[in-house]
Amino acid sequence: MKVELDHERCQGHGRCYVLASTVFESDDDGYGFAVSEDIAPDDEDAARKGAGNCPEDAITLIES
Amino acid sequence: MSDRPDDDLNLTGPPQEMYKFLRDHMPVMAVDHPMMTGTSVALHEDVMTVLQNPDIFSSDGATEIGQVRPLIPLEIDPPEHSKFRKLLDPLFAPRRIAQLEESTRSLVNTLIDEVIDDGTCNFHKTIAEPLPSQVFLTMFGLPVARTAEFIELKDGIIRPPVEDAESATDYRNMTGQKIYAVLQEAIDEKKRQPTDDFISQFLSAEVDGHQLTENDVLDIGYLFFLAGLDTVTASLDCMIAYLAQDTGAQQRLVDSPADIPAVMEELLRWETPVAGVVRVAAQDTELQGCPIKIGDTVSVNLGSANTDERFWADADTVDFDREINKHIAFGGGVHRCLGSHLARMELRVGLEEWHKRVPSYSLKPGITPEYSVGLRSVDNLELSWES
Repeated sequence: MKVELDHERCQGHGRCYVLASTVFESDDDGYGFAVSEDIAPDDEDAARKGAGNCPEDAITLIES
Repeated sequence: MSDRPDDDLNLTGPPQEMYKFLRDHMPVMAVDHPMMTGTSVALHEDVMTVLQNPDIFSSDGATEIGQVRPLIPLEIDPPEHSKFRKLLDPLFAPRRIAQLEESTRSLVNTLIDEVIDDGTCNFHKTIAEPLPSQVFLTMFGLPVARTAEFIELKDGIIRPPVEDAESATDYRNMTGQKIYAVLQEAIDEKKRQPTDDFISQFLSAEVDGHQLTENDVLDIGYLFFLAGLDTVTASLDCMIAYLAQDTGAQQRLVDSPADIPAVMEELLRWETPVAGVVRVAAQDTELQGCPIKIGDTVSVNLGSANTDERFWADADTVDFDREINKHIAFGGGVHRCLGSHLARMELRVGLEEWHKRVPSYSLKPGITPEYSVGLRSVDNLELSWES
């Protein structure tokens, strides 16, 4: 699985890095970024939770 | 409920049924009322369209709350907007807010100390109002000793004690001048003697290579003053009013404090304490086929969007175990509430400490919570518990 976070859409709600802290982190301004583009199998559920809870729909997961 | 909500319209009660009526019968509604003219928008889909398209739905001049210049950053459109957010975002980022958690926790406990032996309190007056006010005034750089005076000024803007719209505008403008005076006094003091609070930092801050002007600092300060003194109060009121009527949920918070964030998010969705925000159409446009003219005020119903059954599974069920809860209680788009991370910390710490120390409580007999409209505080939140 791969993750893409659209930084134009992201508005810093902070849900992704709170709910899926193994996959997403916060920058100094409180906006999220993906720790790595590739998601380890163990982190796939967390990635889905983080992406699914983004109010701006800024996160896309690409299942491989 | 009857076909027309006017028959039994009770604006101080829970608003969710009224939201449903709006979605089903007038999802995009032209309003011509002394308190508001424009278009109100109730569907989640349309609400997101408005919030995420600031080029069509501008914030410039949308909000009338006694100010004499646009509020920063709320009434500034992109691209100017991002320059100010670049300065302000780090101050409210989670890692900065985390540094305030310990002092907030100790403040909550001091407030609880004052009422716990009484077995009864007005939660709004004794906890929900002083908690965020004291946190905000300290971080901002205004004297905590004058909290009561500042709360009265804030209420003069948000809930002016007059009947008609024209008097409300006059009252707001008059109160606004007093707020500017309070801020100017603080600015003058911090210029003489800077400390580490926000006002001092703003006075030396640069945006785009230019130092902020004194008017910039006033225009940021005016917005923070109103947002910092009211929204978390309303949110705590809404949450405790709900929980006071649900002993099962109370028990869950006591037994499993780790569930508090999820409970909090679901109550933010269900209650949406800040029920709406406002924009102005920057061009002729339409929503659901309804024309909106340039210059029209567009009133965005966040509470309705957060309970829209077209968007949410089991929209009417308060479910603390939702896997997906992407509510917009803090708005959305570029103007997503700047203070959302601070608000979440204060709400979580408040709920954690309250339920540790008052594990079982209820509304006083005969009390029905009365919610103020728009910013949903509950002045009559009278609680009782076994002391």
